[in-house]
Amino acid sequence: MRFADPDQLQDYCLNLPPVPPRRLWVCGGPGCLASGAEDLLAALRMEATKSGLKDTAELSCEPTGCLGLCQRGQLVTTEPDGYVYEKVSVEDAYEIVDQTLLAGLPVSRLCQDPSDPKAKNHPFYLPQKRLIMRRFGRINPERFDDYLRTGGYQALALAVRLGPEEVAFRIEASGLRGRGGSGFPAGRKWKACRTAEGDQKYVLANGDEGDPGAFMNRSLMEGDPLAIIEGLTLGAYAVGANQGYIYVRHEYPLSVARLRLSISNAEQCGLLGDNILGSGFSFKLSVVEGGGAFVCGESTALMASIEGREGQPRVKYVRSTERGLWDKPTLLQNVETWANVPLIVENGPQWFKSLGSESNPGTKIFSLVGQVRRSGLAELPLGTKIRTVVEEVGGGHLPGRFIKAVQTGGPSGGCLPVSELDLPLDFDRLPAAGTIMGSGGLIVIDDLSCMVDVARYFTKFLMTESCGKCLPCREGLAVIDGLLNDLCQSKAQIGDTDKLKELALTLSETALCGLGQSAANPVISTIRYFHHEYIEHEQGYCRSGRCQGMFIVNIDSDLCSGCGACQTACPSGAIIGRERKVRQVNTSKCISCGACLATCHFGALKTARRANHE
Amino acid sequence: MNEPSQYLGPMIKGTIDGLSITVRPGTVLLNAARTLGIHIPTLCHHEGLPPDGNCRLCVSQVGGRLVASCIYPLTADGFQAQTDNERIRYARSLVIALMLIRAPEAPVVVALAREYGVTEQPRLRRVTADGCLRCGRCVRACLTGGAEAVSLVGRGTARIVTGPFFEPPPDCVGCLSCARMCPTGIIGFTELFDRRQIWGRNFQLVPCPTCGRPWATEEELARLNADRLCPACRRRAMAEAISSCPTEN
Ligand SMILES: Cc1cc2nc3c(=O)[nH]c(=O)nc-3n(C[C@H](O)[C@H](O)[C@H](O)COP(=O)(O)O)c2cc1C
Ligand code: SF4
Ligand code: FES
Repeated sequence: MRFADPDQLQDYCLNLPPVPPRRLWVCGGPGCLASGAEDLLAALRMEATKSGLKDTAELSCEPTGCLGLCQRGQLVTTEPDGYVYEKVSVEDAYEIVDQTLLAGLPVSRLCQDPSDPKAKNHPFYLPQKRLIMRRFGRINPERFDDYLRTGGYQALALAVRLGPEEVAFRIEASGLRGRGGSGFPAGRKWKACRTAEGDQKYVLANGDEGDPGAFMNRSLMEGDPLAIIEGLTLGAYAVGANQGYIYVRHEYPLSVARLRLSISNAEQCGLLGDNILGSGFSFKLSVVEGGGAFVCGESTALMASIEGREGQPRVKYVRSTERGLWDKPTLLQNVETWANVPLIVENGPQWFKSLGSESNPGTKIFSLVGQVRRSGLAELPLGTKIRTVVEEVGGGHLPGRFIKAVQTGGPSGGCLPVSELDLPLDFDRLPAAGTIMGSGGLIVIDDLSCMVDVARYFTKFLMTESCGKCLPCREGLAVIDGLLNDLCQSKAQIGDTDKLKELALTLSETALCGLGQSAANPVISTIRYFHHEYIEHEQGYCRSGRCQGMFIVNIDSDLCSGCGACQTACPSGAIIGRERKVRQVNTSKCISCGACLATCHFGALKTARRANHE
Repeated sequence: MNEPSQYLGPMIKGTIDGLSITVRPGTVLLNAARTLGIHIPTLCHHEGLPPDGNCRLCVSQVGGRLVASCIYPLTADGFQAQTDNERIRYARSLVIALMLIRAPEAPVVVALAREYGVTEQPRLRRVTADGCLRCGRCVRACLTGGAEAVSLVGRGTARIVTGPFFEPPPDCVGCLSCARMCPTGIIGFTELFDRRQIWGRNFQLVPCPTCGRPWATEEELARLNADRLCPACRRRAMAEAISSCPTEN
């Protein structure tokens, strides 16, 4: 099928063959895929075939994009009822097919709340607004028709009627801001690229996602690749580009495969290629696999990498929209930014502005990880309070613990203390508090984590990812890393914290690219909010019990329940006491390893300074 | 090499350290400052090489932010640049302190440290003092000469200047441009009568046809496509040519 004009596309969409009335969607997000989604899918299909759904078994049980609640995977959701099943295994396949697929009844034992099995009432989903992720749980990302059935390419069909000026205008008026970290107004970039001189222009999608542990972009590329492609096509149409590239890190083979498949499907339908929908506009798109360095996500390094050169930032005081890829005007946006574009073009800027907050319209996908009950991917309106995400979506702290900080923005973000949890997640307020939005990573840190160690972890990552081109980042990070190591190994000296702070602040000012300029954020923000922990480390004490050898353990006899969990965990027999009795610590035997600390659910274990440091 | 040609339009006016100046748009701040006689310290920068802006020593302030003077183009009318204030000196001091760790003995670094009152701080020493500041002047010299024999490879602190696969560079012509461009003088080479050694490669020096002094490598001369006179003999030959020119009267 090749659509010669928008009407043919509309006709085709209206006459798509029907799908089975009830369907099971198996989460195929990165987490569930790793824990055996394919086996589960096969088992469900087999059961469906056995139950007589021979012809439609495949369409009745399908893989879909990330359902979000990764920690509770395997996940399965159902249509039209919208039940969510957690921790599903192959053994549950028969019951799910029998009860849900055939009879429309929930399998209550697999639901978080057996009395209310629907996703929309689940505390994890309740505060969410799933727009970018709206097709996760509704389409098989490899089926082109599924995309069309759920409103896909309606925006493009509309756009060729509206004309490029109107498309660019809608993006500008919507106030959309880049989702790749900086929050730069997309409309400004579009306008600059549109008006830039040159007959050759490019549009690029940044799918490099180098943040350790982040998988928002990956889920999007795997779960709804065509939304990104449609977004890019709209962008190219608006600015007058005829070639585009999607830059994907090569550790994401499934993203690459799905994007390539989707591109070839779109080409076959005439939605990419020459004279798209009879508009006279031609656009070619290809996927470029990245080299796998964090710095390749930086715009100039990314372009160098696409050009086939070493992925290294260039000093530039010229915008890419004027001289970017191969020195031609280039429009680069994050893949999530692109996925917003069809929504805005179709529904209009006013609709978009009604979501999120004043100068931060729309929604954003966040990955919530760390010491919370529920971790996973959540899409929330911008401006949502951090507290809402941690407490409602994430379900709050783990038993016996308390939350100490939330780290936002990936490795070059910062840590906020609990006192700042009422801050809204947006591109303006977070920087004011010393951190960044980044690509939407949220790591919850509790009392068992040491803030100096957290800073050390991120600094180490950034040090190994520094490209080494400019001196302050290359040499400065090595020094900062060294000082942090000393602090965590009781080798520090009084005054090291001040030295660290000076180095960190100057690094931010002098580094060549965004990596170095933001690399000190973890250090600066933890010193700002957890200065006392640094000073304690200078003195050889780690209150969290994370840095080995820098504390001893005491037991609060009022809180101890006598369960003995700590005694079992202690490798050196320092915890003494009898069955169901309050335990005690033989301090001379405590080797300060911290093995016991996480075992106590009653908060009875406390750290204290070692005698020689008092 | 410094003036990007993509900027067009009328001359622009602004101030550097309060002094007014009119420049062509795209003029690099460092050059503009130099025409006013203002000194900005540089290290990775060299007039004969393409700029790279990697050492960050030359930071100056334009508007509210610090920029690398050697690569920052002045583009807008009414610019206001400062090349020396407390913030700038502080940033440069840090850069110098970090340079001191790598190259504590290099005369350029020692001089800079003295100028900015920076002393060695043992607490900061975390990498080996190998004398190399990774400024890449050698690499750019090699590239400019056309040999492209050595490059900077590796990420972060593992970054070093080397030939392909950490082996003696097969494309090296033994011209010594790299060693001459190295600000710390750390690139080692030896010359013994008609032998030259650099980057683990051995070269035979070719004698000057006039004076017979061995002075350049065959590989290097092959690129030059000129007569094989050594610089001293070439000067003499040119002087003779000029003096033997018939005068007008
Ligand atoms: C060190 C570094 C890494 C980056 N990594 C990414 C990345 O993985 N993905 C991304 O979209 N943007 C990344 N960025 C931001 C990009 O440079 C660029 O601002 C962004 O892709 C622009 O798209 P947006 O305006 O839609 O956010 C990175 C920036 C820096 C400095
Ligand atoms: S700041 Fe770091 S990553 Fe960026 S150019 Fe400098 S060394 Fe490379
Ligand atoms: S001299 Fe300008 S950055 Fe090195």
